[in-house]
Amino acid sequence: MDRLLIVEKIEKRYGRAHVLGAKQEVTALLDVSFSIGRGSTLALVGESGSGKSTLALCIACLERPTSGKIVFNRNEITVLDEKQLREVRPQIQLVFQDPARSLNPRFSALELVSEPLLVQGRLDKREREARARALLGQVGIPQEKALQRAEEFSGGQRQRLAIARALSLEPKLLILDEALSALDCSVQAQIANLLMELQGRLGLTYLFITHDFAMAGHLAHEIAVMEQGRVVEIGAADEVLGTPNQEVTRRLVAAMPRLTAEAHAPRAV
Amino acid sequence: MRYFLRRWMQAVFLLIGVSILTFLFSAIAPGNYFDEMRLNPQISPETVAALRAQYQLDRPLPVRYARWVNSLLHGEMGFSFANNSPVAPLLWARARNTLLLTLTATLIAWALALPLGIWSAETRGRLPDRALSGATAALLVIPELVLALGLLILAVRSGWFPTGGMFSVGFEILSPMQKFRDVAWHMELPVLALVLSALPILVRHVRAAVAEVLDAPFLRAAASHGIPQRTLHYKYALRAAANPLISLFGFSLGVLLSGSLLVEVVMSWPGLGPLLLEAILARDLYVVIGGVLCSTIFLVAGNFFADVLMYWADPRIRTGAAAK
Amino acid sequence: MIQLSGWKRWLLAIVVLHGIVACAGFFAPYDPTEQDREHPYLPPMRIHLVDTQGHFHFRPFFYAEQLRVGSFDQFEERSQQAIPLRFFVTGARYDLLGLLPFRTHLFGAEASRVYLLGSDAYGRDQLSRILYGGQISLLAGMLGAGLTLLIGVLIGATAGYLGGWRDGLLMRVAELFMALPWLYLLFALRAFLPLSVSPVQAFFLIILVIGAVGWARPARLVRGVVLSARERDFVRAARGFGATDSYLLRRHILPETSSVILTQAAILVPQFVLAEMTLSFLGLGVPEPVPSWGSLLASLQQYSVLVSYWWMYLPALAIVPFFLGYLGLASALQQDAGTEKIVRTAGGSRW
Repeated sequence: MDRLLIVEKIEKRYGRAHVLGAKQEVTALLDVSFSIGRGSTLALVGESGSGKSTLALCIACLERPTSGKIVFNRNEITVLDEKQLREVRPQIQLVFQDPARSLNPRFSALELVSEPLLVQGRLDKREREARARALLGQVGIPQEKALQRAEEFSGGQRQRLAIARALSLEPKLLILDEALSALDCSVQAQIANLLMELQGRLGLTYLFITHDFAMAGHLAHEIAVMEQGRVVEIGAADEVLGTPNQEVTRRLVAAMPRLTAEAHAPRAV
Repeated sequence: MRYFLRRWMQAVFLLIGVSILTFLFSAIAPGNYFDEMRLNPQISPETVAALRAQYQLDRPLPVRYARWVNSLLHGEMGFSFANNSPVAPLLWARARNTLLLTLTATLIAWALALPLGIWSAETRGRLPDRALSGATAALLVIPELVLALGLLILAVRSGWFPTGGMFSVGFEILSPMQKFRDVAWHMELPVLALVLSALPILVRHVRAAVAEVLDAPFLRAAASHGIPQRTLHYKYALRAAANPLISLFGFSLGVLLSGSLLVEVVMSWPGLGPLLLEAILARDLYVVIGGVLCSTIFLVAGNFFADVLMYWADPRIRTGAAAK
Repeated sequence: MIQLSGWKRWLLAIVVLHGIVACAGFFAPYDPTEQDREHPYLPPMRIHLVDTQGHFHFRPFFYAEQLRVGSFDQFEERSQQAIPLRFFVTGARYDLLGLLPFRTHLFGAEASRVYLLGSDAYGRDQLSRILYGGQISLLAGMLGAGLTLLIGVLIGATAGYLGGWRDGLLMRVAELFMALPWLYLLFALRAFLPLSVSPVQAFFLIILVIGAVGWARPARLVRGVVLSARERDFVRAARGFGATDSYLLRRHILPETSSVILTQAAILVPQFVLAEMTLSFLGLGVPEPVPSWGSLLASLQQYSVLVSYWWMYLPALAIVPFFLGYLGLASALQQDAGTEKIVRTAGGSRW
């Protein structure tokens, strides 16, 4: 399968200047490598602090890795300059964990969803509004609420708005950074279904970052397990879940709440 | 020790910065003492030019600044053209009077604010607190100028207070004890004005800081151990609230210094205020710079003193410093 | 009565007060520069409803004043000459709000001038002078506050957004300005600018000086807000889809500072009005013949005035309702924003 995203030996180190002058270094990522096939979903699983969010920022071109290579759509983006990166960024969009923070509460639904188009200078006002309304429809937000302010929506609805916003630039890759973690259980299921439906319809590729192994198994074709800045295990979802190799994977699998075997059956590739 | 070193460095940098700032301001002055002098037909232009050269006012700014700093390090602060005397002795005499006024007012204000603020916090929501809140609000709404002038009129019409100055006529022949009382009597009105203007904000801050601490679990635990209320409030609560209060102390010094400028002028107290005003009206450059610098020195010294207090009062700073 | 929530009530009060001063021409019976050398230092006139014979009149009236026999500055009422007070009289021309020519005054009298708040050394009506003086003082205060806030926002936003050494440098300079006792700084600044200038020049000079003094605290507050706003996820997200710095500042970050700016405005305006008053009082502000609250008080520096003519103090009280209004507004705004902090201002005298 054509690999949309290839990540090779990514490292990310932060230097923190201490008060007395001694520099303290924090290594967020150390030797991370994986790839995602076009139109499929890779779940990146790991506990807090394993470096997942940093990786998301690097792939989304919002941070530069200290070393390593990222190839997106056959372009090596790690060597691009700021101007060139600006062309690439719209194709990789991020959906954050907490929609209460990632959406400006004072903006209306319409303003939020059309903001990327506005910023990118595409389409005129009327076209933007039309496109925004179409997107709202796609994610299941009723048209009457288009002018409502973000703070007046529920958590689940806000996450839908975030997804709609992410889709407005017609990206190829969507990075979902713990996008379901802040939602109630039942809402999680709804949004997960929405995501799968959109993937089927629009041919999207997902990088699904989570600490929830069960959700990973439900949504993803492949799973990569991270621990302390490293990818320690990677493979097809059913394999990783069924026969985990590493200790950490075993731990995570064991910690999964088991309701029914079928509901959490891993997805076929 | 590191803590003090850092504070000391900050203070020094601040003073240097302030001196540069005031010097810069003086550079943008389109006129100066000598321009005004030039307009005076009685003084020949040659005299003016000679004087200018003598005081080196025709040299570029950085040179003037360097020379001024140099003389500063020798204990001189330039020359006062209007008074025809060096600036430094002029300043110190007046500064002493300002300090007398400001320090007395600060002590009295805090001596009143602490018990009043604590009392207010103790009786939160009840009558004493509400009455105090109302009183402080009323005082806050009256600006200093209005207060000072009002008090002055009161003094004049009632004859209770002397209406200005620091000494009565015939001061020199009084005994030391009588001299002390005379000065104290003259100080009453200006100190009253300063205290009344600073008190409301001090009381409010003390109340806020103590109220926050009174709610803390550790204080309730101490109370349940049977520690008497007075001890609780003054020893325990005050100690815990010391941090913000000591910062407030530094801030209050600045407030009172600014306030004393106005009060001194209104009530003819011979401090830095009237000197500064005269110097401004006479375009007496070095006196103005000296006066501003003087007041800044007081302020910085006061804040440094507050930092020392903070170090002594807050063990966290001590251990933090030790850990470094 | 219209039901208005907390801060809006205060805002209404302030607007009404400002409105009265803005329409000084209407509320003031006379031109503030109109002199009456025959009646210097007249005490406030009493308005009567009952005359010396005990008759009640619906129309309030006052008595003309004459010099007491044997005195050169003591006045007494001439009970024979009762002058009725008329309302909505036609008097001296003025420009309402500086635009519309008008002639109607709220009240006035024929044959004699009515001095509700007394007169000054040149027989000018104090009430009129206070109302017109308010225009100057309030305008200076508001423009000064506006200038300070502008500088403060510019510097604070720059420091907060750019961070790094620029932030450090700007904040050190701000600390410098905050280290100086503000009145000293104000004086120093004023000292270094020309002393004898025309009233208009003086007016703008004062505004410049006042504005340049107090920017440090608003700058720090704005910087704090910008710093935290910069790290918010929705700003990151906007950057993610290619937003430029100016867009981010304009649409996301600066709107977050609006509450801080409004509160600071409520705190700074009265303080700057006071600063203008102080400067004018000491002769460093707007000069004669333009009245300002400060210069109206300048005569109190003379002992004789202090002793004998107490009503010359009244202009000082004019600012108190404004202080009350603005302080109330600032308090209400802060309560609204959920921060019950005590009102603090830009290194100001007692705030």
